[in-house]
Amino acid sequence: MALLSSTANSHKERYSLLWRWHIDAPLLLGIIALMCFSLLAVYSAGGESIGLVKRQAVRFAAGLVVMFVLAQFEPRTFRQWAPALYAVGVLFLIAVLLFGETSKGAQRWIDIGIRFQPSEIMKLAVPLMVAWYFAEKALPPTFLQTVGSLVLVFTPVVLIMLQPDLGTSLLIGASGLFVVFFAGIRWRYILGAILLAGVLIPIMWFFVMHDYQKGRVLTFLNPERDPLGAGYHIIQSQIAIGSGGIYGKGWLNGTQSQLEFLPERHTDFIFAVIGEEFGLVGIVLLLALYAFVIVRGIYISLQGQETFSRLLGAALILTFFIYIFVNIGMVSGLLPVVGLPLPLISYGGTSIVTLMAAFGILMSIQTHRRLHST
Amino acid sequence: MYKRQAIKDVGRETSMFFARCIVALFIVFILMVVLISRQFKLQVLDYQKYQTQSENNRISIQSVAPVRGLIYDRDGKLLAQNRSIFTLEITPEQTRDLPKLVQELRNVLTISDEQVLKFLEQIKFRPKFNSYVLKSNLTEEEVAKFSVVQHMYPGASLEARLERYYPYKGDLVHVLGRMGAINVEELEAMDEETRLRYAATSKIGKLGLERYYESILHGEVGSQRVETDVRGRIIRVLERDEPVAGMDIHLHLDLGLQRKATELMKEVGARGAIVAIEPATGGVLAMVSQPGYDPNLFTGGISGEEYRKLLTPERPLYNRAVQGTYSPASTIKPHLAWLGLKEGVITPETKIRDPGWFSLPNNDRRYRDWKRWGHAPYMDVVDSIIESCDTFFYDLAVRIGIDRIHEGMLQFGFGQKTGIDMEEEKIGILPSREWKRTARKEPWYNGDTVNIGIGQGYWTVTPLQLANATAVIANDGIRYQLQLVRKFVEGNIHEQNVPVMAYHQIEIGDGRWLDLVKESMRDVVTGAKGTARTAFQGAEYIAAGKTGTAQVKSLGEEEEYDAETLAEKFHDNALFIGYAPYENPKIAIAVVMENAGGGGSNAAPIARKLMDYYLIEQYLIEQHQESEQTTETEVVNNGSAQ
Repeated sequence: MALLSSTANSHKERYSLLWRWHIDAPLLLGIIALMCFSLLAVYSAGGESIGLVKRQAVRFAAGLVVMFVLAQFEPRTFRQWAPALYAVGVLFLIAVLLFGETSKGAQRWIDIGIRFQPSEIMKLAVPLMVAWYFAEKALPPTFLQTVGSLVLVFTPVVLIMLQPDLGTSLLIGASGLFVVFFAGIRWRYILGAILLAGVLIPIMWFFVMHDYQKGRVLTFLNPERDPLGAGYHIIQSQIAIGSGGIYGKGWLNGTQSQLEFLPERHTDFIFAVIGEEFGLVGIVLLLALYAFVIVRGIYISLQGQETFSRLLGAALILTFFIYIFVNIGMVSGLLPVVGLPLPLISYGGTSIVTLMAAFGILMSIQTHRRLHST
Repeated sequence: MYKRQAIKDVGRETSMFFARCIVALFIVFILMVVLISRQFKLQVLDYQKYQTQSENNRISIQSVAPVRGLIYDRDGKLLAQNRSIFTLEITPEQTRDLPKLVQELRNVLTISDEQVLKFLEQIKFRPKFNSYVLKSNLTEEEVAKFSVVQHMYPGASLEARLERYYPYKGDLVHVLGRMGAINVEELEAMDEETRLRYAATSKIGKLGLERYYESILHGEVGSQRVETDVRGRIIRVLERDEPVAGMDIHLHLDLGLQRKATELMKEVGARGAIVAIEPATGGVLAMVSQPGYDPNLFTGGISGEEYRKLLTPERPLYNRAVQGTYSPASTIKPHLAWLGLKEGVITPETKIRDPGWFSLPNNDRRYRDWKRWGHAPYMDVVDSIIESCDTFFYDLAVRIGIDRIHEGMLQFGFGQKTGIDMEEEKIGILPSREWKRTARKEPWYNGDTVNIGIGQGYWTVTPLQLANATAVIANDGIRYQLQLVRKFVEGNIHEQNVPVMAYHQIEIGDGRWLDLVKESMRDVVTGAKGTARTAFQGAEYIAAGKTGTAQVKSLGEEEEYDAETLAEKFHDNALFIGYAPYENPKIAIAVVMENAGGGGSNAAPIARKLMDYYLIEQYLIEQHQESEQTTETEVVNNGSAQ
C-alpha cells in the first residue's frame, strides 16, 4: 500500500513503476481488497480483539514480502528449483512419518529449528514438479507420460495420507492433477479416473479412512446425528449464515459469533461470520473479489509464454479456487467438515505465506514475459 | 520398445491450453453458482428458520422466583426471614455431559454423594432450562475458589439466592414448620398452573405454617427474557416481568411467651407440649412442643447423618401440641361436672360416699381413687373438683352415661379438629358406643364409662384441644376456631385480617352451673385444699385451673422407646389447664408433660410462670427495653431471589 501511495500522479507512470517492480497491479489490488475484508472479519470474529487484527496484519505483510521477493525471480528459476524442492519435500514427508511430532492423533509437524508442516511445502512443490515434468514435452502427453506425472502427484499424496491428513492430501493431489489437466490429458482418461474414483471411494471408506474422518462425513450427511458434538459446527454455522439474511446483522452485531455459539469463528469458520454480519450482499461481494483474482490469474496464465509458466499459473489459481470452494462448501453445509482455512480471509499462519508465494509466482509469470522470450 | 520423440507444436499447445482454461473457468463459474445458490437458500429461502434458531440460541426466557412472605409475631417481631446465601447451581440444558460436570465439580468443592443424589432427583422431572442447586450455603472461601475456575465449567454457576432463615431456631419449629426441596411427589401433586408458579422455586413449605400457607407465602413467579452467550451467561436482560412477593403473615403468637414456655420446659428437661390461647379470639399465643430442633438444618437440605441425630427416643420431630394424643386425666373433670349439672343427674347439693373406691352394681371390680382412703366420707361436686376426687367422677360418669358424655364433650371441641391453621392436626379419640364398635369391634361396657369419668381409658385429646376446652369455660361457653395467623399483609400496604370465628355457643342451660364450675376451678388454685394451691401461692391475679395426672397405661402406636427409658415411660403424665385473670380471662393454658409425675406439682408451676409472664412481667420487660431500644433482627427483603 505504501507502494501505491508513494507513486507519482499519472496512472501510466504508476503502472510502469509497479511493472518495473514485477508487480501485477490488478492482482495486487484484488489481494489487498481481500486482506482488508479479512481484517474486518477477524476483528469481529475475534471478539473485537485489536491484538488479533495486528497479528493478522503482520502475517499479511510478511506474505506480501514473500510475494514481492518471489516476483523478482524469473519463472525459469522456479523451474530449476522444482525438482530439488520436490525431493526435499518428499524427504521431509518421510521424516515426518518416522520422527514427526504428534498432534491431535496425526503426525504433521517436524522440528528443524522451526516447527513446520512439510505438507505446506508440497502445496507448491507438487504443481511445480508436475509443470517441470511437462515443460519440454510435446503436449498433450502420451499415456506413459501421463502415468509418469501421476506417480509424481501421488507419491506425496500417499505420504500425507499416511500422517494421516486426508483433507490436505486430497487438495495437494488436486493441485498436481490440475497441471495434468491443463497439460491436455485426454478426456477419456479423465472419465476413466472419475469411474475409478467411484470404485475407490467405498474402498477408502472401509480400509483407509479413520473413524474421526468417517464421523465427519456421516455428520455432514446428517448434522442432527450429533447436534452437540461434531454436528454442532455445521448446525451453528448454517444458523449463522442463514440468520444473516440478505443484508446481514451488521458488522460486530452477529449474535452467533459474538455470543460464541459459532466455533472456530476467526479461523476455519470465518465465512459464517461474514455471512451473518454482512449477509448475502457481503458474500456476493467476497465471491466477486475471489472471482476477479481467479480470472486475473487465468488471464496471466494464458499470457504465459512457456509451457511451464502456463501450466503452473493455471494450476495454482485453480487450486486457490478449490480451497475457497471446499471451505465455503464446508461452512455452509455442502461438504463435510475438513480443517481448511478460507484463503486470505481466515486468521492463520503458514497457509498465508504459502498462498502469497503462489501469488508471487503468478506475478513473476506476468511481469517477466517481455524480458524473456522463447 | 520403439520410442518416438514428439515434436512440440506450440500453436496446437496454445489453443489446447486456451480451451482447457475456458473449461476451467466454466467449472469455476458453475461451482461459484453452486456456492451462491447455497447461500441464497440459507439466507433468503430459509431465512425465517435460521433467524428463529439464532434467536432461540441467543434469547432464553428465565423464570424469576418471588420473594417468600415473612412471618411476624403479634408485635411485629420477625420470626421467619429470608437471608442471602451463595449456592452452586447447574442448568442441565447448558451442560454437554452432566455426570462428567458433576464429577469435575466434586474435584473442586466438597460435594457429598447425598447432595449429588438430591440434585439428580430434583432435576428428574423439571424443566432443563432452569438451574438447580447442587450445593448450598457456600462459604466465602468456597465462593472465591469456584469463582476463579467457573469459566471451565459451562452450565455451572454461583448464584446468590434468598433462603428461609429462622432466627429463633427450635423455639418456633412446631409452629412455623420448615422448608425443604420440592420432591417428586410434591411435584406430581401439582397441577400445570402451580408447576408454572414454581418454575423458579426450589423450596417448599414442608410442615407447620410454612406448609399450611404455602400458596400465600410463595408469591407469583416472574420472568425475564435474557440474552445469553454459549455458556449460558446472561449478557443482558431484555425484558423483565417482576415477580410478586408472597404475602407476609402476622400471628397471634407472642414471641416472648413462646420463648418463655420453651425455656421453662427445657429447664426441667420435659417432653411435652404447652398451648396458650387468647380466649376472646381463639388466637394462639404460644404453642410449644418439646423437644424441638433447628428447622434451618432442613432448608438447605439436611444430611443423612444430621437427620439420624434427630431420630432419638425423645422424638424432636414430633409436634406434640397438635399431633400428640394424651389421656386428659382429671383436667376434664370441670367439663364433666358441668355436663352432670346441666343434664340434671346431679345438683350442687348431691353428695356421694367416698370410701376411696367406686364399683359398679353387681360387680366386684374396684375403681380406686388416687387418695387411697378417700377424701371425705361424703363429697359434693365442688369439693370433688377442688380436690380432684376420682370416686365422685366415676359415679358421675356412670350417671350421665357414655352417650350424653360423648354429645356434651363434643361441644367443648373434643373429638374433632380445633380448626387451627395446621395440616398436621390430629383429633384424638372422644369415645362413643359407635366408635368402639367400629374401631375395636366390641360393644361398650359400663366399666369403660367409669374410666371416662377421670379422663382415662379410651379418651385421648391433643394439648390443643385441651387448651381450647379451657378457653370455652373461660369464655362462658363460646368456642372459637383456633387461629395462629391474625392477618396477611401484602407489600406492606394491603392488610387482610383473618376473621375471629365463633364456632359454637354451647347450650349453657342454667348459667349458674358454669359459674359453679368456674368457681371450683378458681378454688383449685386458691382454695386451702386446691390441688394447685402451692403452684399459685402469692399470685398477683386470680387464676382458675385444674390439675391432671394421667396414668400411662399403654403407648401410642407410633411410640417406641429404648430399653433404657422403659422404666420412665410408666411414669405419670403431668397435666394442667387454667386461665387468668379469673374475672376477665386473657390467657388460657394447657400444659402436658410426659412422664413428669403429678400435674399439681409439675405442670401447674409452669402454667403459673407463664401467666405471671404474660399478665405482668412482659410489661415490665417492655418498659425496660423501650429505654434501651435494641433491634433484634435484620430483615432481608429487597431484590428478588435469582
